[in-house]
Amino acid sequence: MLCCKRFPIIACLLLLAFWCYSTFAVAATIKIGEINPLTGRLAKQGSEIHQGVAVAVAEVNDRGGLNGRQVELISRDDQSQPDVAISRAEELCGWKKVMALTGGYNDSLVGPISEVAKKYEVPYVASASLQKQLTQRENPYFFRVANLHGFVQPLCGILSESLRPQRLALLHTATPGSTEFARDLRSCLQSRGIAVMLMEKFRPGTPDFTPLIAKLASMNMDVIVSGGFFADHLLLVRQLKENRVSPKAYIGPFGIAYESFIREMGENAEYLYSTFAWNPGITNPDTEAASKDFVERFRSMFHREPNTTNMHGYTSTRAVLAAMQNVLHQKKPLTGPNIRQSLAELDLVLPMERVAFDKHGDPHHYQHLVVQIQKGKFEVVYPPERSTASAIYPMPRWSQRK
Amino acid sequence: MWTTVLVSGITLGSFYTLVALGFALIFGVTHTFNLAHGELLVLAGYVAYWLWKTYGISLLFTFPAAILATLVVCLILQRLFSRLREPMEMNSIVLSFGLAILLQNGMLFFFSGDYRLIRVPTFNQGLHFNTLYLSYGQLTLLALSLLVIGLLYLLMRHTFLGKALRATIQDREAAALAGINVGGMGVLAFAIGAILIGLAGPLYGCVHYLYPTAGLQATLLAITITIFAGVGRIRTLILGGWILGFAESGAVVLLGASWRELVSAVMLITLLALRPQGIFEREQ
Repeated sequence: MLCCKRFPIIACLLLLAFWCYSTFAVAATIKIGEINPLTGRLAKQGSEIHQGVAVAVAEVNDRGGLNGRQVELISRDDQSQPDVAISRAEELCGWKKVMALTGGYNDSLVGPISEVAKKYEVPYVASASLQKQLTQRENPYFFRVANLHGFVQPLCGILSESLRPQRLALLHTATPGSTEFARDLRSCLQSRGIAVMLMEKFRPGTPDFTPLIAKLASMNMDVIVSGGFFADHLLLVRQLKENRVSPKAYIGPFGIAYESFIREMGENAEYLYSTFAWNPGITNPDTEAASKDFVERFRSMFHREPNTTNMHGYTSTRAVLAAMQNVLHQKKPLTGPNIRQSLAELDLVLPMERVAFDKHGDPHHYQHLVVQIQKGKFEVVYPPERSTASAIYPMPRWSQRK
Repeated sequence: MWTTVLVSGITLGSFYTLVALGFALIFGVTHTFNLAHGELLVLAGYVAYWLWKTYGISLLFTFPAAILATLVVCLILQRLFSRLREPMEMNSIVLSFGLAILLQNGMLFFFSGDYRLIRVPTFNQGLHFNTLYLSYGQLTLLALSLLVIGLLYLLMRHTFLGKALRATIQDREAAALAGINVGGMGVLAFAIGAILIGLAGPLYGCVHYLYPTAGLQATLLAITITIFAGVGRIRTLILGGWILGFAESGAVVLLGASWRELVSAVMLITLLALRPQGIFEREQ
């Protein structure tokens, strides 16, 4: 009977204890949010970004956190849909009160998240975003570790300095990033005296490239640059072979420089050109040890080799965490405006790039390397100072291969 | 160039028809609007991919396993759909949409979001006919699609079961009054649909590529061709597939690759406005 009378008091005390524990436990951690497409059409890339983010957070926590406070990562799936991305960003910024945001793949998802981040004054460092418009919107809370310039310059360089094609076709997908890439590359090439004979747009996931290949063959194109993605290259290259169309070079800046691409394509991947910003064996000068640490930690967490997309997630998160660390070192309160200011002043050398942002939030030093697949491996062929092998040009015709 | 475009259009159109056949048959017989059709196709592709990649089984021998897998899933679906009440079309859309999401996430869990490709080395070789080059991949696609479509045509036209199926497509109530087991025809339609999906899935993994959400595109394709041709008409279904395939290929050459989808969308909208019963269907 006595027990029954005391039950409400005991229950209240238990609830109070639980509330105190959860409140103080949460207060001890620093919350950052990440929003990635973990399901839907961009699930592969989103999951890879997420893995890179998770490695960066685990690394910082293993080193004792930020000024002794552990970092709590709150991950959300935007399902590859912009409206879902907005609601997840609202949840993280408005309700979960995260200190900063990271992650993000594809401008159609990163753009809406950046607007919500601005509304709540939460700094957002996007992992993979290219569209120029996003950094021209005067959003002081938006930063990114990638941009189009990093792709266009090395490709324009190799095409104008080494390959010098007579008949170049430039294909791109109907996405903002790929379209801008094609326009920028064309204007850069034209300024260096290389004419683009054909520029064609296609929808990502096109089921058949045969008519387009017939058109390319009829125009006798010697170099094809395709701004398609991983899956588009799988189909386009295979159908080039099926139709016995052998360009002197096939360049796919997005989606070819992955071990999984070589695995799926097999020998048909040989001699294709692509670009990457980082690879387990190829890292920013003087960051070999940091790169090795990342690779080992990644392997232990995910039991496979990391790739350049993983590294983009890692880099953006390391930038966020470094900016927070600097704020804490300066004994300032950890607020959105202070983290934003710290990000604007950041200068951090990481395996993928030296992270420093311009006044629009674009990276100063993001630069891709042009690689060619040779004997199943990625060999850097441009710029010359970082090359690991000579470019094989023209690539052997399909009929000359085994 | 135009012969290549024509061959490409016919090959692609035949494969489109194979993809659409199962959907059209199930819809015609049971009035079930199966939005998970594409996901079933991708599932069959994944089964073939798994057998090919893990055990090195050649493409030809992956078909029975793919058919078995889709047969099991389709018969479960049939049980679920048979519990729905009128309006069947609307309720089946809601149910199959949920199932499509479930299947997508299941495939994401088991096969990850990576793009998968079944590589058949002989598909890259081919035959020359003067200026025309036909790869074995195209030939296989064309031959298998036409064979399956032909067999289904014979079944529908020259067997009692086929006639019963056609009667059910034309008028369920009249068919039931004539003594046809309409419920049984529903099970049969799902079973034949599963076989067709099980055949198309591995081919899809060879000529296209597999990823968990690839099914949406196949479903839209199936819906387009079914509307294009009219429900339950196999001959017109293949003509619809060819017209669509050729229109898409021609648009790429004449107007540019970005016009491809627009041309098929315009054709579909025009058709819905002018001939909602299907391009070859006679008005009743």
